[in-house]
Amino acid sequence: MSTETKTTTETPAEMGERGLIDRFRASPFVSRLLSNRLALAGIAIIVAMVVIAIYARLFIDLEVISQSQLGTNPNRAAPSVEYLFGTDGQARSLLPRVAYGAWYAMLFGTVTVAASTALGVGLGIIAAYYGDVTDNVIMRTMDVLLAFPSLLLALALVAIFPDELGLWRAVAALTLVYTPRFARVVRGAALTVLENEYIDATVALGAADPRVLVRHVLPNCLAPITVQSTLNFGLAIIDLAALSFLGFGAEAGTPSWGLMLSNGVSQGLLTGIWWWSFFPGLFLALTVLGFNLLGDGMRDALDPRMREAVD
Amino acid sequence: MISTRFVLKRLLLLVPVLVGVASLVFSILHLSPGDPALTIAGERASEEFVRQVEESLGLNDPIWVQYGRFLADAAQFQFGESFIIQRNTTVREVLANKLPVTLELALYGQLIGISLGIPLGILSAVKQDSITDHLTRIGALAGISVPIFWSGPLLILLFAQVLGLLPTSGRISVLYNVEAIRVTGLVTIDTLIAGELDMFVSAVRHMILPASVIGVYSMALISRMMRSSMLEVIRQDYMRTARAKGQGSKITVLKHGFRNAMIPVITVIGIQFGGLLGGAVLTETVFAIGGIGTLLVEAIKVGDYPIVQGTVLTFAFLFTLVNLGVDITYSILDPRIEQ
Amino acid sequence: MTGTPKHSADDKPPLSDDSPPLAVQATVRLRIVGSAVLVGVLVATVALAGTSLAGAYAASVDTVFALGSLVFGFGLLGWSGAVALGRGIESMQNHLDTGTGWTEPDARRAMVRILGFGLGVMLGTMGFGTFVGSLA
Repeated sequence: MSTETKTTTETPAEMGERGLIDRFRASPFVSRLLSNRLALAGIAIIVAMVVIAIYARLFIDLEVISQSQLGTNPNRAAPSVEYLFGTDGQARSLLPRVAYGAWYAMLFGTVTVAASTALGVGLGIIAAYYGDVTDNVIMRTMDVLLAFPSLLLALALVAIFPDELGLWRAVAALTLVYTPRFARVVRGAALTVLENEYIDATVALGAADPRVLVRHVLPNCLAPITVQSTLNFGLAIIDLAALSFLGFGAEAGTPSWGLMLSNGVSQGLLTGIWWWSFFPGLFLALTVLGFNLLGDGMRDALDPRMREAVD
Repeated sequence: MISTRFVLKRLLLLVPVLVGVASLVFSILHLSPGDPALTIAGERASEEFVRQVEESLGLNDPIWVQYGRFLADAAQFQFGESFIIQRNTTVREVLANKLPVTLELALYGQLIGISLGIPLGILSAVKQDSITDHLTRIGALAGISVPIFWSGPLLILLFAQVLGLLPTSGRISVLYNVEAIRVTGLVTIDTLIAGELDMFVSAVRHMILPASVIGVYSMALISRMMRSSMLEVIRQDYMRTARAKGQGSKITVLKHGFRNAMIPVITVIGIQFGGLLGGAVLTETVFAIGGIGTLLVEAIKVGDYPIVQGTVLTFAFLFTLVNLGVDITYSILDPRIEQ
Repeated sequence: MTGTPKHSADDKPPLSDDSPPLAVQATVRLRIVGSAVLVGVLVATVALAGTSLAGAYAASVDTVFALGSLVFGFGLLGWSGAVALGRGIESMQNHLDTGTGWTEPDARRAMVRILGFGLGVMLGTMGFGTFVGSLA
């Protein structure tokens, strides 16, 4: 008894770490994922977008591409060798703007997904740990939030935050919209871990602290969280762009894909200036497709139910 | 069969739904920054005038009195006049004008989603793991990866500008005066009632692109649900028995499986209608169709609170009604359910 | 803290169908709503007393009441949603992702707690406000 106690109380962090690397290397999840060609295509797209985003952030001057270039560049010029994606209504070359849009999408997408993951992990673990009324109230609240159409809910929430926040307003609203998905995943995984005697022993020994739970549970639900984050990343990028498109996101001049699309559609589409909305949309759709392909592949590799349906 | 009692019970649910939504709207309006009196009076209005507006809106009463009044008004769908978007017009009038537009778009979108999603889902399930199955699933995935505000412009570009087959935006050609023949507000129906075939064709041609764009989203979800539900039914024992008896497997599937597989799909169609309304907001913006979706966005932007209230309640009302319809269909399909 | 984690939300048998006689059910429900309302009243009173002492009374009455109506509306909507869409949500979970043991009676009970709390906050604000108003 006493030796057992010692191992369980002393090593959680260590075990979590070792378990993680081992699990990654030998996991059927990773090998299944890597044998899925669609998922690989998804990874390729995402890597390319990340490279573009970082390149844009490092080498493109935001000030220059945000300002009007009327007089310097040809206005609304069709794509050519000099202006690969053409120029927009203020004579700005679209290529660097679209590239910089990748940075915005990745940055704000990451913040949104990270924030909702953190909130969801917290709520999910609290729900699983305390059980009973707490569990019921938290999880059913999450269910109601899930039942709302996400864009309409985001619109309602955006209205609460002050205008000055710009794109951050959209990020805050969407964080709240996505939290329930993560809370559900984490709670499910946490319950499984809690049912292990191993945790019972730790808890019975007086470590009745949610922090202990976090240390035990997190390593065990890393895979489902990652899948959920990946699938949600695509959604976050679309919804952020949608809010910008409707006028609740980026300020005028910002090279975000949603805003470029909005201007391109309202000012360029009917007069035949197709490139203005085409290229931002193409990059947006490609990025989202990348995340969806990867996320779908991950889900197939992970979830036994899904696997059953696929076989 | 469905009893009247069941329908009445479900209709009664509209009361808590609307009170709930009204309470949410009330709280959001009170928590969000911005002063309605100042919005109406204008930024440069005199202090005195702002006070007058406040008085007339009852903003000086205790908040619970305001809440009670708000609920009473909402119960009668009475939100007063629009502040900004259409001054001196009651919210009811504005909504009555715009609601059919969104309704029409959502109905055709849903129709396309169902009539494509169900066959695709069945095909995918029956030919599981074939090329058709993979293509359908990838297609559905690509469909939801492309945002409406890009697929819409692309379709306009291709069908309207390059091929010149379909009109770019609006509901009907500007040459026609739809208001003159308005009965239901749904242009495709009104033109038929009036017997104006030219106008009907124009209305349908205008509807094709937006309805397809919005329909793809429901198609993706419905086909996924249909596939999963169909696979489950196929695996069930009685289906195996039927196949063992020598009945052709595909015919068996269609005969016995379809009805059972439809039951879970039907229930989802109702929930998914909410997403469709969200999609309508974007679609209306892209195709310049002024329905309640764009109305809501405009109203939030400029702070036209009565319109915001009216629109949100209308959305909730629609959603509940659609789900009532779904429930009724469900109990017809599955007589075992006793209410 | 009791030590052993309880997560019985999913294990409990549903309260509906084959369950105890109506009178007992009604008492149970009343107790759930009642305690939630009481907690709400208490929270509202404490919050308002706190903010009044800090000297921001007028604004805080509005805010607290609005927050109460937010919670109340949310609970009410969730309750009717559970009743109206229960079946749809259950089958969607069965077919599209791993089921989490969502059941309609469970959801309704949770929502009754939430809306009761919101109602309590609103009532508490009203009571406190009327009381302060009568002092002035």
